Amino acid sequence: MTERRVCGLETEYGIQVDGVDDLDVVTESMELIRCYSREDFVARWDYGLENPRLDMRGFEVDELLQDKDETEHLQQDRLRKIPLKDLKSDLILHNGARLYNDHTHPEFSTAECLSLADLVAQDRAGERIVLQCARRRTEERGRGSVRLYKNNTDFEGHSYGCHENFLLPRAIPFAEVVSALLPFLVTRQIYAGAGKVGVEVDHKHDQNVFQLAQRSDFFEVIASVDTMTRRPLVNTRDEPHADPARYRRLHIIIGDANMCEWATALKVGALRLVLELLEAGNVPPMELADPVGAVKSISRDVDRHWEIELADRSSTTALDVQAAYLERARAQAAGRDEETDWVLDEWQFALQSLAMDPTQLVGRCDWVTKKWLLDSFADAEGLDWGRAEDRAWLQSQDLEYHNVDPQEGLYLMLEGMQDTSVARLSDEMAITAALTTPPRGTRAWFRGHVLEKFGAQVRSLNWDSIEFDIDGAIRTVDLRSCVDVDTAAIFNTRLDQAATVQDLLAALTSLAIVKETP
Amino acid sequence: MNPEMRDRAPRPKGPIDTGGDGNEESGPRRPKVERPNTDDLMRRMRKVDPNQARRYRQRTGQ
Repeated sequence: MTERRVCGLETEYGIQVDGVDDLDVVTESMELIRCYSREDFVARWDYGLENPRLDMRGFEVDELLQDKDETEHLQQDRLRKIPLKDLKSDLILHNGARLYNDHTHPEFSTAECLSLADLVAQDRAGERIVLQCARRRTEERGRGSVRLYKNNTDFEGHSYGCHENFLLPRAIPFAEVVSALLPFLVTRQIYAGAGKVGVEVDHKHDQNVFQLAQRSDFFEVIASVDTMTRRPLVNTRDEPHADPARYRRLHIIIGDANMCEWATALKVGALRLVLELLEAGNVPPMELADPVGAVKSISRDVDRHWEIELADRSSTTALDVQAAYLERARAQAAGRDEETDWVLDEWQFALQSLAMDPTQLVGRCDWVTKKWLLDSFADAEGLDWGRAEDRAWLQSQDLEYHNVDPQEGLYLMLEGMQDTSVARLSDEMAITAALTTPPRGTRAWFRGHVLEKFGAQVRSLNWDSIEFDIDGAIRTVDLRSCVDVDTAAIFNTRLDQAATVQDLLAALTSLAIVKETP
Repeated sequence: MNPEMRDRAPRPKGPIDTGGDGNEESGPRRPKVERPNTDDLMRRMRKVDPNQARRYRQRTGQ
């Protein structure tokens, strides 16, 4: 049986304070994260192991590109005289996740997950955690309600991400990874897109468009190490958070943040199966003529034909591209386990519904659900999509679809209805558990339980290491090997058996993964 | 209403039986879903400030 691949989601949330027009989003985001730290363990994040300039193609760039707008913002940030540590307010939570202020957005990075059920529960727990912070911050401010949005745009050209991470063998040449994934990633938005009213960046384009995806306007190149400007379809940042000789971390930045659990599970589940095709050398042979153009044209195609040109000048459709990947994935993996069969069946159901009757995906696919809600509202209110003023109101509804407060957010209200059309993969018990419990059988379980058991001795952490301070002596546990089920089981068993942190370090020293710093 | 947008609008046509093809014996089930009563939702949507999105300004993230 093929071992499940470790994966995780990073979600940057948008932040707004009702009634405050001159909001300082940097400070507000920092203060919001600090609202969590008052009741939880606070450990210092170790930035020493991060290098966002390292490129998987085998080089390191001198600097990352930033647009003029962002450069001016950073100059303002330097005048704040707030130490970086405080500005980031970086927290590791007992559930193994990371919560921090990333580029002015509160970000929740899920723990490493093996199952889609765990991933969905962790993602939903992230919504609850940032909502809890927003409510506390609202009380603390005394003026204005803090609202958080799990979306990817401010409709004015500023985008922020929901990134997916997957462990991948280093042995696969990165050029093969790019060519194998491009047709899949460019077309995945037909079921994974979150939907958007209007077009950004391209100001000459007709604004009377409901797009499939929030992010598609923002991609300019096929591959690069940058993530904030000249965004690439495939990010080449080389930070494996695992043994670099054996693994890459595939960092997918093209996806939207999904409200629908079904969409979260399917977008990740389908990509995991495609990565298996890649490892087996079984990816359907196809090359898009213009991947960057296609990601936009598919998203903006109001006729939903989704035609694209291949490199040999023949034409195909996004549906056919996805069907080609699905066919090979089914042939390779069908019957392996329940989760795999769920992904294969739902992937097929999605493509059939999109071809025959997209409304079958209300409550599953975000763009379909959002469009259905907005059309219902436009009909009820007599709004005209062609009128800019009416469209502005619809754009506001689009934003509120992503509000994470279940008393205000349109998606969450739909989900909470008794006769709801929303497909759930989690339940309240699973989400509540994921607030404090890491996914079982993972490195995250070790990280979270080390904090619970020996938090007083933890000096700093990163995804792949934990630094202990034992009476002034610094001992570092290297977790880079702890990414497969068998190794994680060894780590977690030894943690369970350890009565003291000294016991734990002694048990791990025999594995040659503990380093002592004088 | 822009007629093109109306024609392209996906909308539920009635209760959707997605209980599968009868062959699903294991794995996460595809839940049965029905068209919801959206009256409460429409009331909430009417309360949304028409300028909410115009005032929503963020900085570029990743």
